Amino acid sequence: MGIPTAPIVTIAFEQLAKTNAAQHGVPHLRVCFTPHPMTNKTDAEMYQVLEGKDPVTGKPFMPEVIDALTKPLTAAEKQTGETRPSTGPETYSDTPDNLQRFYADNNMTDFQPIILPTEEKVEWMLKGTSHKPDEIVGKMSAGVPSAFPPWSFNVRQVAINAVMAGAQPEFFPAILALASTGQTAIFSSTSSFAHMAVINGPFRDKVKMNYGIGALGPFNDANATIGRAWTILSKNLANAGLPGFTYMGTTGTNFNYNNMCCAETEDALPAGWQPLHVRHGFKPTDSTVSVFTGWSLTNVCYFGLPYHEMITHWLTHYFSTSNFSAMLVLDPTVAADIKAHGFDSQDAFRDYLVKNTKTPAWLYWQRRDKEMALAKQGVEPYASYLKMGPDADIPVSRFVPRRFPGMPENAPLPNTIEMIVMGGSTNTYWLGGDFRYTVTASIDKWV
Amino acid sequence: MGISPAVLAGVPTFAEPAKRTTRASASVGKIEVLNPKGFPPAIKLFPMAPRVASLDGKTVYLVSDGFAGAHRFLEQMAIWFHKNMPSVKTVYRLKAGGLTGDDPKLWAEIKANGAAMIMAYGH
Repeated sequence: MGIPTAPIVTIAFEQLAKTNAAQHGVPHLRVCFTPHPMTNKTDAEMYQVLEGKDPVTGKPFMPEVIDALTKPLTAAEKQTGETRPSTGPETYSDTPDNLQRFYADNNMTDFQPIILPTEEKVEWMLKGTSHKPDEIVGKMSAGVPSAFPPWSFNVRQVAINAVMAGAQPEFFPAILALASTGQTAIFSSTSSFAHMAVINGPFRDKVKMNYGIGALGPFNDANATIGRAWTILSKNLANAGLPGFTYMGTTGTNFNYNNMCCAETEDALPAGWQPLHVRHGFKPTDSTVSVFTGWSLTNVCYFGLPYHEMITHWLTHYFSTSNFSAMLVLDPTVAADIKAHGFDSQDAFRDYLVKNTKTPAWLYWQRRDKEMALAKQGVEPYASYLKMGPDADIPVSRFVPRRFPGMPENAPLPNTIEMIVMGGSTNTYWLGGDFRYTVTASIDKWV
Repeated sequence: MGISPAVLAGVPTFAEPAKRTTRASASVGKIEVLNPKGFPPAIKLFPMAPRVASLDGKTVYLVSDGFAGAHRFLEQMAIWFHKNMPSVKTVYRLKAGGLTGDDPKLWAEIKANGAAMIMAYGH
């Protein structure tokens, strides 16, 4: 841009800021740091920060900012050219115990023991696909691609990570499909993103996935290792999951260990209901993996109402990191009850939920300054909403499909409520949460 | 402000120096395993923009990336300039595109009308 700039970052993001600057070709960017957090400081406290010192350098803050804009550039700051960071040698040699420690110490694992990726093991894994080892599978970023430049990777590199996760060769096409989505399982954000991988089609039975009792639990090697491989490959193929550098989730999430990898219980779908992948343009005979991103799921069982009404109330009142998207994981018994109440398809049920869910007043008025101003001027319907009081449920759904920032203008509006049917029908439980569908990838392509 | 090349590559620290060996040279009890890393992109180095000799009498853009509180922080910075460097004119702008999005229109405006930019804050 050619304008001298002083970027200001809070100290919690020191490593991230420096790393990002370097990855974008400005390794000596003159970043000035404030204490953390800043968001909730009063105006007077913020002014004190300006009068105080940079907690990283110890220098007076505003003079440092002014220096950043006025002090002549050093030779290093004027440097041009191109560099390609090294990721180390192609192979490592040591005893198995030392190598286990080595991979963990270098954040290449999920800190559980791995299968050591010897040449023989990787060749064995490559038997699970007809694709050539040097074929580029895709690119993956540790977070927002404009902030974290994507890394690229080939089939062989995915195979190395699949071996480490303990996967079998017959699982490998699903792992390649997940990798091909370019979506990291460990997305860099302070909000501790979780992800979910849902497999549909004949592949589920081919590799004997569990979509019955305990489908989301540690009871099946395909469910376990396909999901685990996604985490390990995200670390190694996208440079994701380096705390402080490419991962900032403040609490983290246990979901990152295997990303709730599961399969839909397609055989138990009520008549007229379609498998997830069919609803996203694939044929029933296709095998796919669908990716969801979100934060949390709540396990619900309550017998006081029909399920469609119960879920309506739950969606009205739950709140989470995202309040504008929802995911339902329905046990087949719950799906059957919903069908019995007249919902002949998931779309019909979703339309009902969008039409009938409301928004608690306290949540509705958040970030609606314009509507609040209109309400105070007596403009309807906002004036009536305001009169309902702070404890009311405003008759406006949070789940009306909307355009997300950055979406192409001609793209169809995404579903704000997604659902799958899964479980062993041992009781009428369902899960609800804030996950959002992102993409479905073909597994068949990678066989 | 320096950064280790190892960090850029996603291998922040090694427990011990990595050894490149061949299978034939591996000693008894040792095995050879493969590096699971992908291909990081090449990094093009950009020279930083030339600095201004002084801010006196210049226009400095105070740009918020939209993160909560950044607007109020920059308001306080404008007050600081008014008190401590009154010859500096400050102009506040909210960058389009959130934390990571580009805003070419704003950059053009600053290039045409400003001498420097302060952006707050990274979080």
